[in-house]
Amino acid sequence: MKTTILEKDGNITAILEGRLDTATAPETEKAMKPIYDSEGKDIILDCAGLEYISSAGLRIFLCILQKAQGKGQEVYIKNMTDNVRAVFAMTGFSNIFKFK
Amino acid sequence: MKEIIQYIRRKLSVRVSLWVVLFAAIIFILALGFLFYQAREAVRQEAISRATQILDKTSLRVEGILNRVEVASDMTKWLALRHPDQADSMFVYSRSMLQNNPDFYNCSIAFEPDHFKERGRYFSAYTKHIGDSLRTIQGGSDNYQYFFMDWYLMPQLLDKPCWTEPYMDNDVSTNTSEMVTSYCQALKDKTGKFIGVINTSLSITWLSQTISETKPYPHSYSIMIGRGGTYFVHPDSTKITRQTIFTQTIEHPDTALIALGRAMQRGEEGIKRMNLDGTPSYVFYKPLGKTGCSMAIVCPESDIFGGFDRLRHAVMTIVVVGLLLMLYLFIRIITRELSPLHRLAKEAENIASGQFDAELPDFQRIDEIGQLTQSFAGMQQSLVKYIKELKDTTAQKASIERDIHIASGIQMGMLPENFPTKEDRDDVQLFASLTPAKDVGGDLFDFYFRDDKLFFCIGDVSGKGVPASLFMAVTRAVFRTVSFHESMPDRIMTSINMTMGEMNKTHMFVTLFVGVLDLPTGHLHYCNAGHDAPLLVGNEIHELQCDSNIPVGFMPSWKYTLQETLIPQGTTIFLFTDGLTEAMNINYEQFQMERVNEVAARALAQQQLEPKQIISMMTDAVHQFVGDAEQSDDLTMMAIQYMQPQNGAKRIQSITLDNDTQEVPQLNNFVNEICKSAGLDEISSSQITVAIEEAVVNTMSYAYPVGTHGSVKIEVTATKESIEFTITDSGIPFDPTAQEEADTTLPANKRRIGGLGIHIVRQVMDSIHYERMGNSNVLTLKKQI
Repeated sequence: MKTTILEKDGNITAILEGRLDTATAPETEKAMKPIYDSEGKDIILDCAGLEYISSAGLRIFLCILQKAQGKGQEVYIKNMTDNVRAVFAMTGFSNIFKFK
Repeated sequence: MKEIIQYIRRKLSVRVSLWVVLFAAIIFILALGFLFYQAREAVRQEAISRATQILDKTSLRVEGILNRVEVASDMTKWLALRHPDQADSMFVYSRSMLQNNPDFYNCSIAFEPDHFKERGRYFSAYTKHIGDSLRTIQGGSDNYQYFFMDWYLMPQLLDKPCWTEPYMDNDVSTNTSEMVTSYCQALKDKTGKFIGVINTSLSITWLSQTISETKPYPHSYSIMIGRGGTYFVHPDSTKITRQTIFTQTIEHPDTALIALGRAMQRGEEGIKRMNLDGTPSYVFYKPLGKTGCSMAIVCPESDIFGGFDRLRHAVMTIVVVGLLLMLYLFIRIITRELSPLHRLAKEAENIASGQFDAELPDFQRIDEIGQLTQSFAGMQQSLVKYIKELKDTTAQKASIERDIHIASGIQMGMLPENFPTKEDRDDVQLFASLTPAKDVGGDLFDFYFRDDKLFFCIGDVSGKGVPASLFMAVTRAVFRTVSFHESMPDRIMTSINMTMGEMNKTHMFVTLFVGVLDLPTGHLHYCNAGHDAPLLVGNEIHELQCDSNIPVGFMPSWKYTLQETLIPQGTTIFLFTDGLTEAMNINYEQFQMERVNEVAARALAQQQLEPKQIISMMTDAVHQFVGDAEQSDDLTMMAIQYMQPQNGAKRIQSITLDNDTQEVPQLNNFVNEICKSAGLDEISSSQITVAIEEAVVNTMSYAYPVGTHGSVKIEVTATKESIEFTITDSGIPFDPTAQEEADTTLPANKRRIGGLGIHIVRQVMDSIHYERMGNSNVLTLKKQI
């Protein structure tokens, strides 16, 4: 699992690659610290390379969203794979996130 | 005779003694011979001088007597001629003659017939000893006409005094006769006319006695012969005057006796050695003055040399007895001196027969035998020591060999024996063979099935024998341990390398090939640590491409690379160690890869791709090539033929994980592949994977409180219609179906963090069922295809 944080055009972007499962979730959460700490910027989660996600990954996504909403930031999800989309659909996450 | 020679050859004591005695005997013979010769010569000379002396003495004595007779006769003649006419005076003269010479036999002064007219025709004043007295008579008579007698005629005829031949003197008055010899001297008156004869006689018997009086030897005797050879003196009185010295030669010719007789007759003096009457004797002879007689002393040799011979016999007897005694003593002494050798020989036999503790006799000697005994004792001790060492060494060696044999058994026992065949499995069959060069070898192979995967490895430890076998055993054990938790060959290899490298103080290494064949898909993951690349024999023959990784054990930090390939159905993976390619024949040529390829090609051509067939062909080819040469290295081969499983069959696979979320990728991999091989699409597979992850992570988190360890087993049963997962753990009772479900309709700020997992499980799976069985939680999830 690889996590890359980019800041450009006034947005902060996290590029997620690999499989986000229970095993890789803790390191991903750590890598997301700049996202948690960011203020006043829109958050973009680029999931083009995310092959797999389980509830542990969903939990990180939910945390980011809840924190961002508290600080008035917007969270967008970009380039979802079919596998991840299916899980989002299953869990109702498709309804709470905004997609680009 | 043969036995005696054998006995002598066998007995050193007898032999040595015989030699010594033989030399002694030779020396004795030479010395004694010389001594005897000299002594005998001395004795002979002594005898000669003695006999000669006696002969001379006797001769002198005889001559003295004869001279006395002659002087007395002369005296009487002178007296008689002073008064030739006084007849009575003649009696006086005759008588006084014998009075003065008692040893004379008789004396007569005889006159010519009618010389004294008054006395008649006959007058002979005759005096003779009668006992101690003398008798003087007138001896002539008619019966005894003395003037016809030799003694009367001879001096008259010869015209000189002479000695007569012995003759018998008869005494008429006493009627006795005596052999006498007479000295006769003619009486002539002043005119020179012959008037009578003075006759003085000596008794032959007396003379003989006188002559024989002195005997040099007890058995010696004297003889005397007259001019004609007649015996006058002889021990045999019958011969006297009756026989001559030649008489007996008429009957028995005896040249020596004749020569003696002649010599004596000639009046010679000398010594002769001859046989007389059969007795070897020395004869010493000498003439007796004027008498014309010759006397001889006969000394039997036995008398002369009697003493000497007795001495000689005594000495010879002493020498012979002495030599025999010496021989006996020598034999006894040498036997006694050598008797320790005899015992030593016996003890040596005992030792030779294996009784090394046989006690050697202590002879308390410091000579060569003592030294020999000591050397012997030393040798015995050394023997005992060496034999003991040899025994120990042999025992140790036997023990080591036994151990190695057992070790070989253990090592072979470690290797899997039950090879899956067509009958056992429809997806794969496998066969392997390992032939160590020594009892124990450094090659290894292993395989086992886990989670629908075939885990296998083949390796070759550097070196051979016991060290290699130990390393091999460790490698194989580590492979089992590591691969039980690890499914990826690179990680298995890295773990093995780390473990082996850390404890490898002897700098051994092992080339190892580890493969994991996913049986449902034919997907092979593999990692090669410096081992020979396996051959893939399917539609074509090619080597499996392998990255260059260093052998295991060198560098614990080495990161091994993973490779993968798809094994087509019916293809056989042929793995081997360098014992195959480097198998050597007598000419030190190697089997080499070309030949391996040739055999593989032949197997392919003949469609002999079943593991047992291909290994059998390869084994035959190697044996044929190597011939009688000794196997130089361990030879190991393993062949795996992959066959696609038939659809529809029920297949059960399982995986067991620790209660560690880091195991999740492995779980996901396992589930994903099962789903794919069951024919599910990418999205469905992924959804099921997520669902199983959620269920397993739930179990890990809740059945095992924080800090406790345990495992979770996931069994999958796939059929054409459905796929069923059974998750079993031995933690505290936990029923996930009783968990509150997340409300997915809430907005983000109202959503709770938990509860999503079980929701996903419910969403994905068609059925979910929990059961507490004994100490286990059993959760069954099913998905229709």
